[in-house]
Amino acid sequence: MDRRRSLPDVLAGGILILIGGAFVAGALGYDRGTPLRMGPGYFPLAAGAIVAALGLAIAVKGLVAGEQITFGTIPWRAVAVLSFAVVFFGFFVRRLGFVPTSLVTALLATLASRHVRPLTAVAVAAGLTAAATLIFVVGLQLRIPWF
Amino acid sequence: MRTLSRMIAAIGAVSLVAACSGNDGTSGGGYPEQNITIVVPFSAGGPTDTVTRMIADPMAKALGGKVVVRNAEGAGGTVGAGDVARAQPDGHTVLMHHIGMSTAPALYKNLDYQPLEDFATVGLVTEVPMTVVARQNFEPATFQDLVSHVKANAGTVTLANAGIGAASHLCGLLFQSAAGVKLQEVPYQGTGPALTDLVGGQVDFMCDQTTNTSGQISAGKVKAYAVTTPDRVKSLPDVPTTTEAGMPQLRVSVWHGLYVPAGTPPEIVQKLSGALQAALADQAVIDQMAKLGTAPVTAADATPEAHRTHLDEQLKTWAKIIADAGVQAS
Amino acid sequence: MDLFDNLMLGFSTAFLIQNVLYCFLGVLLGTAVGVLPGIGPTATVAMLLPITFNFEPVTALIMLAGIYYGAQYGGSTTAILINLPGESSAAVTALDGHEMARQGRAGPALAAAAVGSFFAGTVATVVLAVAAPPLADVALRFGPAEYFSLVLFGLIVSITLARGSALKALAMIALGVLLGTVGQDIYTGTPRFTLGQRELFGGIDFVSVAVGMFGIAEILRNLENERTRVALVGAVGSLWPTAEDRRRIVGPILRGTGLGAALGVLPGGGHVLASFTSYAVEKRISKRPQEFGHGAIEGVAGPESANNAAAQTSFIPLLTLGLPAHPVMALMVGAFIVHGITPGPNVINDEPALFWGLIASMWIGNVLLVLLNLPLIGIWVRMLRIPYQVLFPMIVLFAVIGTYSLNFNAYDVYAIAFFGLLGYVLIKCGCEPAPLLLGFVLGPLLEENLRRALIISRGDASVLVTRPISAVLLALAVAALAVAVLPSIRRRREVVFAEDE
Repeated sequence: MDRRRSLPDVLAGGILILIGGAFVAGALGYDRGTPLRMGPGYFPLAAGAIVAALGLAIAVKGLVAGEQITFGTIPWRAVAVLSFAVVFFGFFVRRLGFVPTSLVTALLATLASRHVRPLTAVAVAAGLTAAATLIFVVGLQLRIPWF
Repeated sequence: MRTLSRMIAAIGAVSLVAACSGNDGTSGGGYPEQNITIVVPFSAGGPTDTVTRMIADPMAKALGGKVVVRNAEGAGGTVGAGDVARAQPDGHTVLMHHIGMSTAPALYKNLDYQPLEDFATVGLVTEVPMTVVARQNFEPATFQDLVSHVKANAGTVTLANAGIGAASHLCGLLFQSAAGVKLQEVPYQGTGPALTDLVGGQVDFMCDQTTNTSGQISAGKVKAYAVTTPDRVKSLPDVPTTTEAGMPQLRVSVWHGLYVPAGTPPEIVQKLSGALQAALADQAVIDQMAKLGTAPVTAADATPEAHRTHLDEQLKTWAKIIADAGVQAS
Repeated sequence: MDLFDNLMLGFSTAFLIQNVLYCFLGVLLGTAVGVLPGIGPTATVAMLLPITFNFEPVTALIMLAGIYYGAQYGGSTTAILINLPGESSAAVTALDGHEMARQGRAGPALAAAAVGSFFAGTVATVVLAVAAPPLADVALRFGPAEYFSLVLFGLIVSITLARGSALKALAMIALGVLLGTVGQDIYTGTPRFTLGQRELFGGIDFVSVAVGMFGIAEILRNLENERTRVALVGAVGSLWPTAEDRRRIVGPILRGTGLGAALGVLPGGGHVLASFTSYAVEKRISKRPQEFGHGAIEGVAGPESANNAAAQTSFIPLLTLGLPAHPVMALMVGAFIVHGITPGPNVINDEPALFWGLIASMWIGNVLLVLLNLPLIGIWVRMLRIPYQVLFPMIVLFAVIGTYSLNFNAYDVYAIAFFGLLGYVLIKCGCEPAPLLLGFVLGPLLEENLRRALIISRGDASVLVTRPISAVLLALAVAALAVAVLPSIRRRREVVFAEDE
């Protein structure tokens, strides 16, 4: 197998080191106890350190003998629009009510595709909102105000 | 879109059944203007949840509205209670809480509500007795034996509980304080796993509600030492009370009460309290509670005043026990 | 013959018209909520519990049980079709099931899942009838030390879930375990990594992680190059498994059934462990391990059978001991109580009609499920023909609503976005989400049981090796780690396999 420097490996390792490190830093603030009488901080500290160590191993391996992965393109528009759509729903569903929030979320979601026509987007969003309202609010009697 | 509509049709069955669950009574103006939600700060299917669901429908009938039960479990009931404390004080959000309401201020130092200041009491609901039970092959034969055994073996005996702040935890604390001994506690996530390990002989003993233990006791899978109420429990006639067994200080029951956010208009509180009393007088509710090994409180106790007095007294009792035990939940 | 009489009693109860009807309603509802993201069997049972108060006790329990195992069935449908596992065990089904769907073989994947589940359900029901009490005794032998070792073994076995590097799979498992520590510590109540937000005290919800790392990340990958995806799904092949498929799924179904029936008895982790242990076994003994992760039908049939067998046998602790192994069963305990039946070991003697009726109804329920699901396959597969521009917004919208409906907690929804992005980047770097998801589910069990074992033993770590079951499981875990991680051993194994063929 053709193995040499691999940027994705280094990136993955970096993310793991970052997350593991953040948890280790956080865990230091909790009581660790002793290995045989563990406090709340012990297990996360150990798990965080293992994640960071494995991340380091992946990154180092990525620098000398990484896996060849084609990273491909990133659909920036979809990444931004979909994250925004999801967060929008979480933030506004209590404030605006079910129907308006669903409509905007669905509309935003349809816009993640580069080939969508505005009219189609509106039609799809309206249809999905109607379906979702029917299933979740009317059908399952979810306790979310409509508006 | 045709496929989509067919999918909806498939799911439509859900709607049908869900719709059956609601008995839409329309009220003639005023309170209640919308569905009343009773928040249960524990998981569905537990004793508190069961009690709530028993009284929800009769209360709805008395109020002329719809009552839905919502479970908001987490952190020994403080998450759900906090939610209700911050809810609109219009009587549409009601909290069902148990003894944990009176212990939380002592257990949680970062509690974001105060029981007496942030809530208005509606009325007491029921008091569920508790039992002291042990694994089947645990040596002590009687409750007195148990006390001397754990005192002599404080280093090795394990006392299980269903989680920090759970009724079984509090009862265990009271036991330790009354017996004057500090034991190794083993917390579980709920009664189910704790009882499983007790039946399996992994832990030595625990204290839990009759609701959870009476089936195991009558099947002989666990050993029952005492009930923690002044009188014997009907479903367990052979089990002595802690008073009979010489530890009258170990008196604890899981009392339940209804609350609304402070600032709720008094006439709405009265209306809710009236509905609660009506529900507790319902023969179906009485029968269902008897099956749980408990009974509704009297109409005089299902009032805001009696409830408030009881809460006040319990808050003081538990503050001392918990501080003495040095327990801190967060 | 005792068993025969009992089963007769059971079937005469279960075949009462209202019982069959509510059994059907239960499995239908279960399938429906299994298909919808977010809303799971627990929420449904909680919602329906009050109406069952008016039923006969046996009818109520038949329906509630039907919702539970029906949802196990339905959860695999979305995993296969749109890479969205509704339950932790369905995450395994998504691995090869969704690959098959991408190759236009959604029909055979769904059929394999349905047939495997039916067979497993039937066998497990027989196990339940014949061997419930002895199996319950085995379950009771599992104390905290045994659970710790079992979960550790399970986590290490799940390295096999990955297509690529074992090192990355191990890192993903560890990351999952780490993320599982968010929330309140059950031993002290200390909130951990909650950023001061009360909404995070309960931890991160499994559904948020699954929807983000599988659902959203998959959509982002598909949107990278929109044209290819349309072409891929355009070629929907035959709905039914080919003769070759049928031959290939027999072994996995048999083994999956055995594994699931055995592991399902263990309360807590057993049911989750069953499906991916089955996957690991199939991948290990397959002559074509390289096909796994790229649409191997064995990777669908085995885990689905294991999952459904476990769903049936997980009733054993509840029925024989009155001890619930799953939140749905905790609700059923509530149903017992409300109907004046004290849950506990006496139910089998005091209420034989209820006990055997419930068991018999499970078999009927499995028949109903297969009758319900086989015709539905055609409809589900046609759903893939919905233009992707409609399908993916639908997945996003339904997923956020479903997730929000779990706890009405906005943080559960924010977590979807977080895990969607994290999952997408990690997948692009060659790290796969399935091991992470299992680490996330099993991590809390690992910590809980380790700490509990040490508390009970007064801090003596040797209990993990002095208790025989635990020692055996730990030895297996070490062996599994050696086989998975040491590349030299693995390469040698591959050579051996190559020579065999």
